[in-house]
Amino acid sequence: MYPESMQESIRKVEATRAKRVQVAKAGQPIVKPMSDEERQDVLKRFHPDYQDDARRPVRWGPNESEPLTADVADVLETYPRIVPERYDLSNPDFQTDVLIIGAGSAGFSAALLAQQAGVKVTLATKLRLGDANSMMAQGGIQAAVREDDSPAIHYLDVIGGGHFDNKPELVQALVSEAPGAIAWLRQLGVMFDQDDEGKLKTKPGGGTSRPRMLSARDYTGAAICRTLRDEVQNHKDIDVLEHMSAVELIKDTKGAVAGAVFYHLLTREHYTVRAKATILATGGFGRLHIKNFETTNHYGATGDGLVLAYRVGAKLAFMDSVQYHPTGAVFPPQILGFLCTEKLRGMGGQPVNANGDLFVYPLEPRDVESASFIREATERGNGVKTPSGHVGVWLDTPVIEILNGKGAIEKNLPAMLRQYKRFDVDIRTEPIIVYPTLHYQNGGVEIDATTATSVPGLFAAGEVSGGVHGRNRLMGNSQLDIIVFGRRAGMHAAEYAKKTQVGDLTLEHVNQVIETIEALNVPREKISPVMLPDYIPEHVKKRQLDTVRKGNIV
Amino acid sequence: MSVLYFPGCTLKNKAENFDQSFVSSMAGLGVDMKELDRWNCCGTVFSMASDDLMSQLAPIRNLLRAEQQGADALLAPCSMCYNTLARAKHFVAQEPDRLEKLHSFMYKEQGDYKGAVDVVHPLAYLRDSIGFDLVAKKVSRPLEGLKLGAYYGCLLTRPSIVSIDDPQKPEVMDKLINALGAESVYFEQRTECCGSYQTLTNLAVVANRTNMIIRSARTSGAQALVTSCPLCAYNLDQMQREARKHHSDLSPMPVFYFTELMALALGQDWKSEWTELHEVDPAGLLKEHGLD
Amino acid sequence: MMATETKMVSMVVMGESFRVPEGSTIMSALEYSGFQLTTGVGCREGYCGACGTLYREHGDYKLKGGLACQTVVSDGMHIAQIPFVPADKPSYDLEELTPDEDSFKKIYPEIFRCVACNTCTKICPQDIQVMDYIQCIMRGDIATAADLSFDCLRCGLCALRCPAELVQYNAATLARRLYGRYLAKPAVRLDRMVEDIKAGKYDEEIESLKTMEHEELKDRYYKREVRTK
Repeated sequence: MYPESMQESIRKVEATRAKRVQVAKAGQPIVKPMSDEERQDVLKRFHPDYQDDARRPVRWGPNESEPLTADVADVLETYPRIVPERYDLSNPDFQTDVLIIGAGSAGFSAALLAQQAGVKVTLATKLRLGDANSMMAQGGIQAAVREDDSPAIHYLDVIGGGHFDNKPELVQALVSEAPGAIAWLRQLGVMFDQDDEGKLKTKPGGGTSRPRMLSARDYTGAAICRTLRDEVQNHKDIDVLEHMSAVELIKDTKGAVAGAVFYHLLTREHYTVRAKATILATGGFGRLHIKNFETTNHYGATGDGLVLAYRVGAKLAFMDSVQYHPTGAVFPPQILGFLCTEKLRGMGGQPVNANGDLFVYPLEPRDVESASFIREATERGNGVKTPSGHVGVWLDTPVIEILNGKGAIEKNLPAMLRQYKRFDVDIRTEPIIVYPTLHYQNGGVEIDATTATSVPGLFAAGEVSGGVHGRNRLMGNSQLDIIVFGRRAGMHAAEYAKKTQVGDLTLEHVNQVIETIEALNVPREKISPVMLPDYIPEHVKKRQLDTVRKGNIV
Repeated sequence: MSVLYFPGCTLKNKAENFDQSFVSSMAGLGVDMKELDRWNCCGTVFSMASDDLMSQLAPIRNLLRAEQQGADALLAPCSMCYNTLARAKHFVAQEPDRLEKLHSFMYKEQGDYKGAVDVVHPLAYLRDSIGFDLVAKKVSRPLEGLKLGAYYGCLLTRPSIVSIDDPQKPEVMDKLINALGAESVYFEQRTECCGSYQTLTNLAVVANRTNMIIRSARTSGAQALVTSCPLCAYNLDQMQREARKHHSDLSPMPVFYFTELMALALGQDWKSEWTELHEVDPAGLLKEHGLD
Repeated sequence: MMATETKMVSMVVMGESFRVPEGSTIMSALEYSGFQLTTGVGCREGYCGACGTLYREHGDYKLKGGLACQTVVSDGMHIAQIPFVPADKPSYDLEELTPDEDSFKKIYPEIFRCVACNTCTKICPQDIQVMDYIQCIMRGDIATAADLSFDCLRCGLCALRCPAELVQYNAATLARRLYGRYLAKPAVRLDRMVEDIKAGKYDEEIESLKTMEHEELKDRYYKREVRTK
């Protein structure tokens, strides 16, 4: 229920709706897509990445002196959590061939493929199996399956969306293996939306030149992730370690990564795992709340993988760009920052300003769309204000129902409908207020097409990796990324493990990190991996007199 | 009268022949009948196990939904479903308290059960609402020459409060058989227990009963048995193989659902899928009488 | 604008009362009260089912279920978080199963104990017709079971409340996988595309894009035809 203060603006939106529907029905773009120059202009002036304080050079390590997102540089310039001398590495607690850190869809895919390759697999996760951003993806997964589409057209969309910075061989793998990945998921029993003839339903997405987004209602990520989890659990020979948070990678004396140190979040024990190959599938960094933005991300998305990899010398790529999803929820306050799927716009939902006017092509790539929303609400002063003082623009969702027929929202967007219904907003008849929210880590640990990082023995797949999406990911390509590269990681890490002999284990690199960080005069309390965000209020902390905190962890 | 159809679980898998032949027969008789929307398990076994109110939720919910969907009567061809639903109706009718307790538990079911909808077995429906004369008139392929034993078992007639006929001398199924142009054959064991759920744990008991019932029917001249219960059908048909382990001279006898015969007589074709659901293939018998 | 002080309400956590800001979700109220969550917390947006919570509201005997991240605290609400529901997950080979009730008789035979009491449906925070989908499985209607259970988050509250001790969400997962594997229509174009790619149909075009000069690539990109239908 919208308060009276917002009703006047809602009436303006309602007043222009019929005309906007007419334009949309005519089939032309309701607002023209931007040219290269227009895109660059709005990005430079309004995208958070381009603000003066958004980036700073990191002061040590493989990317030394390269400007990175400031919050990321901060996290990389921290002390390790552990004291290396305390661990008896000659007698590790677990031994395995392939160690996978992270149990989202990338980790699951890797585990299944590595298991299939006949090696011993250990899957470790900070929280529970499936506690991942993978589970939360709503709108879809891209794969070229239409008559008028092809992997080559998909390739062009991906690389243009990424501002031509993506690593070509990664894009090639992504688009070429997309249909095969979907076939694999269907074989495992994922229910993708199909029409009456059996054709997979395709919806347009931001920055795609063909409707290419396949979906499973608006629970696409969940449909995939829970199926993969079920299949992993069918293979009892895959060892699962839950509530085990990776705190440091272990190397061997030959310089290769050879396992990891874990901290059990419930029992507070440390464990060591020796592995012939290690896959990082730890996901992204939304819960670092870059530039204090609200985020769509999972509780555990604290960028741990970046720190782990950086400390063993792995190079990062494109860690100067952050994806803000244009449509984060602004009202009601309980769902501030929550994701409102791009499928809302894919199905015809229109962004309009406080006056009810269209102001941007609804399906620009995410960074451009986000910057346009910010411009509308700030420079142009056409934002909508909520009682809690937040600002946003309208996303006119009733249009979806008009364009696609009555019942379209309930059938195709049940999660969105339910989300708002819980707070008495009916998106079938009322618009919603949205504003950019921190969504995705565009860059990450640099990988090649085999998912190998710059350090032997260390592989990375999914959001923690960098290079696939350049500086801006298109919708539906992260779900694709985690399947395609998760599978690749499992295969290649297994192959690597089969021909590798691990030397003596060491944490000497951690000692060197400690020395380096000391030399940078970083305050002692700055430590990482971050593990979990900190939502305990200050007045409570003040009373917790005896509580010892390591970073955010009690 | 508006009627809805309650199929029950077994008619949707192991007794699809019962389901299909019933639906087509009723269509053949011109009865406008739809399947109850969102039906759940009739509540059998559990509801008969004790007077636990919880176990009455399933049958009462079905009746509630039938009421909400505007039915005067709910047709349940499976003897077990019929029995369970009909007994539940009586159970709550006896003491208003019980229904009140059920309602307070079913607060999310939107609306209360008023006890208006009747639970009707199709055999009774044919007798009372359609009439066997009319059935006979609609027969386009009389089952001439077939000698059939109507097997009532227990659930159609016991306890007496839900009986669809005289518990000692039932005749409703015999009348249907005759209306279809076949000859009904009286035999001693027609209301004996088939062995029921002993079939899960005590095969020998069921095998002996199967042997006894089939012999009794054959001695009286029956060529096949007719039933309205998937559990009876299982014990009498599928268990003949087991019975033969103990009684090697028991020769096979087909067992029909009354609806299969009704469908045939009304001009529907026998479906080969139905044969697959029979242990003893009735094809020979049907062919003999020109009914294939 | 609300310049006034935040109104506080009480939330009773395992018997102990805490004062929390009005309008808080159960999850944010727990954090406000000083709990650092390591279980009973996940995506925080209603997609993962980690934060299933049982609660009673003041003056109401009814036991309700919700997700802590999606349920707003009411004054005097009693809550208990249910971070985990004990349940084994049997192994099975999807390739050896059939999409009918027989698969469930092998893997989850207990679901046939359902007494249709509907307690599961009443507690479901997603408003899923849980009992109905179990009933569908019992009669072999896997397609409807998959459809009805689609939005299940596996929070486990149904299994916790079930008097017949079923684990509904496990059965639902199997129903959906059986549907996706065996009952979903074949995706004809998908298979053809996979074959075309295998045969190298697009290799040359992608290779040329990979090696294309930056300006030419940019030109191709901005001039490409955009179809939205």
